[in-house]
Amino acid sequence: MADKRSEGQPDVMDPFGIDVDSKRPKRPEGRGEARREAREGEAAAAQEGGRRTVYKSTGLNSFGIGANVAEVDVEDDRIVRVRPMQYDKEYPLEQLRPWTIKARGGEFHANLKTLLPPYAYAYKNRVYSKNRILYPYKRVDWDPKGERNPQNRGKSKYERISWDEAATLIADEITRVRDTYGLPSILIQGDGHGETKVIHASHGCNTRLMNLLGDDWTYQARQPDSWEGWYWGAKHMWGQEPLGQFDMGNLLLDIAENTDMLLFWGCDMETTTWGWQGQLPSRYCFWLTEIGVQQVYVCPDLNYGAAVHSDKWIPVLPNTDAALQCAIAYVWMTENLYDKEYVDAHSIGFDWLEYYILGKEDGQPKTPEWAAPICGVPSRQIKALAHQWAKRRTSIAHGNGGSYIRSAYSHEPARFEVCLMTMMGLGKPGRNIIKFIEWYMYGLASQQPAPCYSSNMIVGAAYHGWDFKGTKSSITKTLVPEAILGDYTWENPLTWEGYTVCSWPRENQFDTYQHPIIGAQGIHMIWTDTPCWTTCWNGGNSMIEALRSPKLECVVAQQPWMENDCLFADILLPINTKFEEEDIGQDNGAAPFGLIYHEAQAIKPLGESLSDYEAVGEVAKKLGVYDEYIGGKSVEEWVEVGFDCADKPDPITFDEFMEKGYYITPTMENWEDLPRGFGPFCEDPEANPLQSPSGKIEIYATGLAEHFPDDDERPPVPHFIPFGKRHQESLLCDRAKEFPFLIVSNHPRWRLHANMDDIPWIREIPTCKVKGPDGYMYEPLWINPKDAKPLGIESGDVVKIFNDRGWVLGGAWVTERIRPGVVYQDHGARLDPIEAGVSDRGGANNLIAPAKTTSQHAAGEVTSGFLVNVEKVDVFELAKQYPEAFNRPYDPAEGVDISSWIQEA
Amino acid sequence: MKTFVINLEKCNGCYACQLACKDETVGNQWLPYSEPQPKTGHFWLKMTEKVHGQVPKVRVEYRPEMCRHCEEAPCMEAAPEAVYCRPDGLVIVDPEKARGQRQLVDACPYGAIWWNDELEVPQKCTGCAHLVDEGKLPHCVDACPTDALLFGEEEELAAMVAQDQGAFAIDGTKPRVHYVNPFGLFISGEVWDPEADLIIEGATVTLEGPDGAVQTAATDGFGDFWFRHLDEGTYRMSIEADGFQGVQKTIELTESVNIGDFPLQKA
Repeated sequence: MADKRSEGQPDVMDPFGIDVDSKRPKRPEGRGEARREAREGEAAAAQEGGRRTVYKSTGLNSFGIGANVAEVDVEDDRIVRVRPMQYDKEYPLEQLRPWTIKARGGEFHANLKTLLPPYAYAYKNRVYSKNRILYPYKRVDWDPKGERNPQNRGKSKYERISWDEAATLIADEITRVRDTYGLPSILIQGDGHGETKVIHASHGCNTRLMNLLGDDWTYQARQPDSWEGWYWGAKHMWGQEPLGQFDMGNLLLDIAENTDMLLFWGCDMETTTWGWQGQLPSRYCFWLTEIGVQQVYVCPDLNYGAAVHSDKWIPVLPNTDAALQCAIAYVWMTENLYDKEYVDAHSIGFDWLEYYILGKEDGQPKTPEWAAPICGVPSRQIKALAHQWAKRRTSIAHGNGGSYIRSAYSHEPARFEVCLMTMMGLGKPGRNIIKFIEWYMYGLASQQPAPCYSSNMIVGAAYHGWDFKGTKSSITKTLVPEAILGDYTWENPLTWEGYTVCSWPRENQFDTYQHPIIGAQGIHMIWTDTPCWTTCWNGGNSMIEALRSPKLECVVAQQPWMENDCLFADILLPINTKFEEEDIGQDNGAAPFGLIYHEAQAIKPLGESLSDYEAVGEVAKKLGVYDEYIGGKSVEEWVEVGFDCADKPDPITFDEFMEKGYYITPTMENWEDLPRGFGPFCEDPEANPLQSPSGKIEIYATGLAEHFPDDDERPPVPHFIPFGKRHQESLLCDRAKEFPFLIVSNHPRWRLHANMDDIPWIREIPTCKVKGPDGYMYEPLWINPKDAKPLGIESGDVVKIFNDRGWVLGGAWVTERIRPGVVYQDHGARLDPIEAGVSDRGGANNLIAPAKTTSQHAAGEVTSGFLVNVEKVDVFELAKQYPEAFNRPYDPAEGVDISSWIQEA
Repeated sequence: MKTFVINLEKCNGCYACQLACKDETVGNQWLPYSEPQPKTGHFWLKMTEKVHGQVPKVRVEYRPEMCRHCEEAPCMEAAPEAVYCRPDGLVIVDPEKARGQRQLVDACPYGAIWWNDELEVPQKCTGCAHLVDEGKLPHCVDACPTDALLFGEEEELAAMVAQDQGAFAIDGTKPRVHYVNPFGLFISGEVWDPEADLIIEGATVTLEGPDGAVQTAATDGFGDFWFRHLDEGTYRMSIEADGFQGVQKTIELTESVNIGDFPLQKA
């Protein structure tokens, strides 16, 4: 089906937020030679054992937007250490103009060095991991000319082949599948969860190649996996393109000056921030404590932010936030505590909300007493929260992830939050919503809560990932297993609403898409550079089943490490890390200044590994499109292209940039005067309308009413929906008798999604892994003492976490950091299948998350806040039962050894 | 003299210090100060953590542990030929001279010396003396994102050092690593009116400590009260609110406690 993107939208597929093609300059003349000489000198110095320092961004947003730039000291082709970058090393302070936020008698200063996340200091282990795929491999019993043995994916081992063989095999398979079934039968997974690189982009180089082959290959459309509810819910109330989230411009200042109480709702500002934002939020929250801003955490777990910053913890049951929100609205409505004037001027449909909340619709007033047993918060505490919120200027903080925003029907809590903020005057001083990650997204000042800088430099012209030209065929990522496993034809297709890419406009959610597209056939080949579907998406066991389907004739995975979906590939391509390549980068929102930097090669590539860009290039060569693929430029020349396209306020030559290694733009003059959150809309909603059909906050969402009038899972006005036709994942439904716990599965503390589970130094941290009696390092499962005791579970026991979709193991940690009735296990543990598609030793709990999407017309993922049961197991008995799985070569420091999968030559 | 100050109320538990220590010393030889730290198992800087309280009054205490670079270092006494104090105060276990001297591990009352099986040498934090020699910060301090870890001249840090009440110091060692703002223990609870089903704000909670000292707290907008940074001992607590009967309670405090919620009866 054709690309249904509306006209006039920003090119939101481009993570840089600009039309990078128009920024690509003509090949620069005459500057290449000096560069080459300098580089050769540098390389020679490296050879001679010289010590040098290179810049590398350590953020893992995985597209082209860097963060957390580090200085990496290198000696003798070996990484010595990783250090914070000092912003004023090459430029005087006067030039940087570091900002200061002053409020309530305190001062908060811009940091002059990067506040690196802890994993940056351990990341060299990832570079030198035993788990690295260093050579091309082929599955031993996959024979493209004979038996392909798809049933043995995840079982049989791999044998080494040459790059030439690998590239030829892939090129031949692409050609064969195209000729046999058509290009739509090739699914390209190239969409995230890896290192952040620009020229050597981790994700989507394969899309660039496929675009050279045709315009109807099948694209895996990644939905807003970390903020589902905002996209599928709030967007229908207020637009807020492209993400559906809130304006948060200048809110560090506004909160410090005006907010009395900051509600961290399902937000761990000490954890989800690390990969994207570094640790500025941590400093900021310590400062908020100093200046007297009360910090209240609403979440089932005492998350890592609450552990050190909370003045108050309200442990709500997972995915019952909507009930709590309803009760707050009830208190405000019945005690006349809300801002009627604001509601009248800024919203439509409030009477519909009253009708529901006061019980006129269903006879059940949504009182605190009604909500208390549902959400697990005593009614007096619900009332206290409602009263405090009404009395004191309150903002809400988010961090993405968790059971608040990516559980079943997650659009409802997001929409209720918009309702509550509307009732309290959204955008008034001290009354806004902030997110402690993803600052300056799309280069928008409205997405930058910290002081803005004078120019937001973008190096996107050098980016080689995610080349979006609107291929005609796509599958929303959440439905990939269903698309493969179901008996769909173009006449009887799988359908869903919305292109689903996380930044697509609201109206697009009303368009129907289908797989296969008209005239096409189903998927017969997958090429992934994103091999973590099983561990990061919804119902991973169904993906394993799909990956072993005989319909899939060829599965190609390219990845630096042998992990997760790689186990199910037929061909493996060895990819290197960013330390092994030269690149250019930009920081966006993590640094307090605008920042671009040259990433010199730190060490030579290990083994026969290539970058993603180069690896795809090898296939391009076999297909005869290499020159087009690389755009006629060398990596060195692409660095210059990236530099040239960045909007630099002061003249700086490329040579100077290369010599200094980075360039900074200072704090914007008069940044204090920029709008604060929803301030402009608050002050004059007519002059500053929202992107909703009415321009107002649509408490009654007219778009939903028009397109899905009968949808009882996402009605026009938000409802508390504990369970429904699609999902039975609530303690209130019958399934809870069998599976009596709700599991919280947050974005992990000690990984970034499925990345970095094999770092020895991190695995030593007590909350990272729990050592079982068999010496295996299990993924922690938090359980409250009150729940553990009757089950005979003690800390260190191995437990089985299960439901009707399968089971995973965990290492019990009996702790007061989780409320009773709830267990907690981070997502993204490295896959270690016991019985592939059924059970997992590593604790990759996404395997047993619901495969079904958010709701009938919302194709999001449901990966936290679902029902499970827990029981203690005897691992030695299990080892007898599953000898193969339990006897894989294993190093507690790094996990399952790659030799489990690679056949010795 | 150089000194470390660890401001515990600024520690967010990110473990960057523990990881940075390994980044600096695992696989890196910094002679004459240190042989490489083994890949795993040693913690020359070890973050410790402890969960305090019970749902819903819970917080986590983090505290990095390391060599205290003692002025009167027991390790130096145990092996004066192998352990020395630099003029800047950093205590160094000479990797050459200390080879084979496993007893040094037990000589440290802080448990800060580790035995390297492979190299047969006792090892510990050197204060990154090799970096200090270059005028740089120890790697853990450089890595700390919140300024919880500080390092510098004693005079520069004097104001912070003065706040060290010796909470984690062992008598007779005179450590040059100073801990300030220790977590201690807490008592927390909630006060409410069962008849109205509302919390009570502004109730007065009085706590008499083991030494007879009395402190008071008013319940907040959630009916909560908190007494933080307490020592172990027997406490007498009383709760008073206008129009309600008071409550008294004796608490044997050995660990932080959520003492529960107190529904007050009308007077």
